[in-house]
Amino acid sequence: MSAVNAAPITATDSLSQALKANIIPNQEYLLQGSVLDSAVEVLLHRLRGLCDNVDAGPETFDDQEVCFSLRDPNQQAAPLMLRVRKALDARDMPYQLRYIGQPDLGDKNRPTVVRSSLDIACSGMLIEFLNELGCRIEFEYSVKGYMFRKGRMKITVAKVFKIPQSSMPPEPISQSYLVELSVLAPQGQDAIGEDMRAFADQLRPLVQLDKIDYKRLGHMAVT
Amino acid sequence: MGVTVLQQFHVPENKTGTYVIELLTKRILALGATQQGQFLVDCESYLSHPQMGTTKTVHILHNSEQPASVFSILESGTKNIHVIADGLFDLLMMKLSQHYTSKKQTKIESKGPRFELGDFCVKLGSVTMNQNFKGVLIEVEYRPCVMANAVWGLLREFLQGLLGPSVPVQPPQHLLSRMNEIYTPIDTIYQYLEHFSAYRKGLRSA
Repeated sequence: MSAVNAAPITATDSLSQALKANIIPNQEYLLQGSVLDSAVEVLLHRLRGLCDNVDAGPETFDDQEVCFSLRDPNQQAAPLMLRVRKALDARDMPYQLRYIGQPDLGDKNRPTVVRSSLDIACSGMLIEFLNELGCRIEFEYSVKGYMFRKGRMKITVAKVFKIPQSSMPPEPISQSYLVELSVLAPQGQDAIGEDMRAFADQLRPLVQLDKIDYKRLGHMAVT
Repeated sequence: MGVTVLQQFHVPENKTGTYVIELLTKRILALGATQQGQFLVDCESYLSHPQMGTTKTVHILHNSEQPASVFSILESGTKNIHVIADGLFDLLMMKLSQHYTSKKQTKIESKGPRFELGDFCVKLGSVTMNQNFKGVLIEVEYRPCVMANAVWGLLREFLQGLLGPSVPVQPPQHLLSRMNEIYTPIDTIYQYLEHFSAYRKGLRSA
């Protein structure tokens, strides 16, 4: 049989090959911070100077995100969280379905938070699909802002809004912008963390990007 | 892509699937077709955990014609909801293994040679479940048209010419309600699922 007529490789085989070769970007390296509305222009100006996509100006985005949870049937593990993102400014683009694992902060020598992550582009009736799958909507919000690139790093400066109940304009959740510096990479590429830390240092003192521990934040809200 | 019709071909008694595929290969080559590789459509189904309430089934299908996509159909009661995603959806199904478990023994696939003949694309698939031969499925696609209604007559004539006048050719159940809609790859997937489900239930003998 000629190579042209060789049997196609099964999807399971190609996936396990990709897993073995470790080419699937399933880890997210993340640093977060925030900046007051009044200071955001200075930060944007600094980012325009530092980042790659300066010619065309920063890319804007306006997304709506819905977070779903799927309870463990044995009630033993924490619920599985799935996030669905839809671009409000480009409605014909596919949905983005995202699985994010538990963040691993490591010790203080580790430069960034590392969490497992799967980013999947989806079309079709995703929200209905997840509802029928047994997922429950936990919360939703919209996020609007700017996206910059520096090599493999992605920097977003964005404002988080509540979803309005009626035709009212969306109400911002705070008087500040959320700043995120992230890279999606295959497992074991820890060197990127150092690059991110070095880049974050260049943004000081305009914004302090750090490893944010959500568990501690939750604790602070209760007390 | 155009409109596709999936048709089961009855394997005569005392004959094997290989014999049927070879016979149809000879016929289609005699019509002037050329073989353009092989094709594969596979399906794995996952059942929801009993403690999650009513049983739901998630069918995950792949088609070598759309190698970068994963087709997922959720069957819940009478409703079918589908999502077309990129390849990483398979990894997500692994993350859901606590909630949805794979029925490995019902993993089913159709594979075989793929031919092109002018505007038609013909695939002769032998269906196997767990390495057991189940039957033969013929896929015929007429590529220049995306509306089933406009091309059904042509496809029927082509299929009857290929399979012989004794084979009854009806529009697939899934297409009946969608004859005037634009045909997309998920419509082919639904047709495969219909046939695969019938083979799994043992409603058909090879």
